[in-house]
Amino acid sequence: MFIAPNLLAVAVFMLFPLGFSLYMAFQKWNLFNPATFVGWANFHRLFTGDPLFAIALRNTAVFTVGTVVPTLAISLIVAATLNRKIKGIGIFRTVLFLPLAVSAVVMAVVWRFVFDTNNGLLNIMLGWIGIGPVPWLVDPTWAMVSLCLVSIWQSVPFATVILLAAMQGVPEDLYEAAKIDGAGEIRRFFAITLPLIRSASSFVVVVSIIKSFQAFDLVYVLTGGHGGPESATYVFGIMLFQNAFAFTDVGYASALAWVMFAILLVITILQLRFSRRNSLEQ
Amino acid sequence: MADNQSPIFTRLERHHSRPFGRRTLLRGAGVLGASLVASTLAGCDDHDDALTFFFQADPEEADARMRVIDEFQRRHPGIKVRTVRSGGDPMQQLLTFCAGGKCPDVLMVWELTYAGLADRGVLLDLNPILAGDPTYASELKSDSVPALYDTFEYKGGQYAFPEQWSGNYLYFNKKLFDDANLRPPGRWEDAWSFAEFLDFAKRLTKRDASDKVTQWGFVDTWVPYYSAGLFGMNNGANWSSPWNNPRRMNFDDDAFIEGVQFYADLANKYQVAPKAADQQSMSTMDLFARGQSAMAMGGHWRYSTFSEAGGLDFDVTVLPVGPKGHGSWSDVGTTGLAIAADSPRKQQAWEFVKFLTGPVGQAVIAETGLFVPALKSAINSAGFAKAHSRVHNLNVLTGGPARSRHLPVTPAWERVDALMDRNFGPVLRGVQSATSFKTDLAADVDKVLRNQ
Repeated sequence: MFIAPNLLAVAVFMLFPLGFSLYMAFQKWNLFNPATFVGWANFHRLFTGDPLFAIALRNTAVFTVGTVVPTLAISLIVAATLNRKIKGIGIFRTVLFLPLAVSAVVMAVVWRFVFDTNNGLLNIMLGWIGIGPVPWLVDPTWAMVSLCLVSIWQSVPFATVILLAAMQGVPEDLYEAAKIDGAGEIRRFFAITLPLIRSASSFVVVVSIIKSFQAFDLVYVLTGGHGGPESATYVFGIMLFQNAFAFTDVGYASALAWVMFAILLVITILQLRFSRRNSLEQ
Repeated sequence: MADNQSPIFTRLERHHSRPFGRRTLLRGAGVLGASLVASTLAGCDDHDDALTFFFQADPEEADARMRVIDEFQRRHPGIKVRTVRSGGDPMQQLLTFCAGGKCPDVLMVWELTYAGLADRGVLLDLNPILAGDPTYASELKSDSVPALYDTFEYKGGQYAFPEQWSGNYLYFNKKLFDDANLRPPGRWEDAWSFAEFLDFAKRLTKRDASDKVTQWGFVDTWVPYYSAGLFGMNNGANWSSPWNNPRRMNFDDDAFIEGVQFYADLANKYQVAPKAADQQSMSTMDLFARGQSAMAMGGHWRYSTFSEAGGLDFDVTVLPVGPKGHGSWSDVGTTGLAIAADSPRKQQAWEFVKFLTGPVGQAVIAETGLFVPALKSAINSAGFAKAHSRVHNLNVLTGGPARSRHLPVTPAWERVDALMDRNFGPVLRGVQSATSFKTDLAADVDKVLRNQ
């Protein structure tokens, strides 16, 4: 009885949409005319008849790798830095956490100004060191770089907090023993810290991959609803939105959503198996 | 002392003396939630009998639009009109409204996208209504510009009546042209060539000592890949075959490709037009309005903005013709008024559409200068000429509707548009030749048209 309201909420807001979207994936429905059963046709069209699917898949993969790898690397460095007992460390931790508190849309709007080719803050600063203006959001290659930069900036605080918490749980006596054995700071980090926060870093990787795969709001505001310029930032989130709400091809969009889910499921399972095997070997 | 306190005071004191309780929080949230739900439901009240009219307009246009609506209400006091102004993406907004069962009674629709709505059954076929009013039907037909009227005919139905011509032409800064001792053509019949246009643009592009452009010869205030297509059209190619519900596009036509390449070269090769990066800090519209560009491509929708730009003295001229072209052509840019198929107020909606797209409303529109009207009587009226008294080459506006060629009308336009955006980009940036359309764009678009 006590959990009934929660169960009801889960059923209404999670199970029903999930089931409905699975049902819709096998239908052709444009929101206006009655839905008609089309079997696997939506999936068939996705893999063989839509030139934009391959583009979205490639862009999403690039965006995911371009976000997750730097996020993990930077977060490890920042967390290790913040794990020291320095005066005023609380202030640094608070400042670092700020990007997480800002809405993605607000952030993207601000970054649009920063990325302006002629008058943007970033190009002005690059100009001081003699680097010519970079067409951040205009050139297709640079647009993806810009998107990854903002996404990293947004993701680092969360990852850092998780890794920092894990690092603070590493027993101090291990470090002291290593110190006595003559291990330097870098050696201690790779030999003690990294192996002992493996589960936390695995979690960060899985969550970051899922978040990158589902990116939508950031892309929509930063480079537009078409995933421009020239589809350079046309990721799955934008493709899903475009098919569902611009083309009102709801069945097709649902099929795409389930394909995204399947890809994420496979990646997550592989990643978990990989990390489990590694921990067993150790 | 405490005994003398009133019960209310005691209760208040008790409240203040302890932290904000969980029950208080829940009660407050309940009251707040209930009031929000109540106010939202009140806002969704369906019992309002007003006719809803959905349209898109910038602030200057909206004022003129409201004057026309006020005139309708003055003549039809029994019909109350409630306006719904569109946001940034009217098509998406309309789809959301109509799919959610809240379709406005009267809808402003666009030539490129209305077929998507008609195909989904959102719009009412106006032919049966028109058949019941044969006198008006014949009057309307004889006063209409065929190219505009026919645009809204799709699969045998008439889904809207045109209310304006919004095709493209060129605005030019009179002072900058006078200073350079240049004069562009004043009529569609006296069109200039791509070479003459380029020569003018070169002479009107100015650079400072550091080679930074201070004045552009040409800017485009429309959608660049549509404009490029219009240059292709002016090189003698049609966009699609046929224009209505086509099965293939002519993106692989040599004349089309040549026209698009010329447009792309204006920025990349000849450097008489700004590149995309140059437009990030200032829009092309502002460049022309501030006198930093000698020519601007756009339609009448820019007219009120340019008219109100301080110190800008402008006139209008026609688009240039390519070596394979046959005369100068604009595009059939037009918006029409449609009635929602499930509107409960079809009769009032018909009166409203009839007024705005008929001779009376069109004459009022002509006087406000809001649009280039769609009916010949209004286009050639004294009211329209008076509203555009600053335009010397008035023939460019009055002759425009008849000198317009159709863009494709297809329910798959949104998908075609997405592919155009992707494939025109590298060409307009100058990293690919327009001949790439032959291998990439043409095949992809044809696939989309076949699968619709």
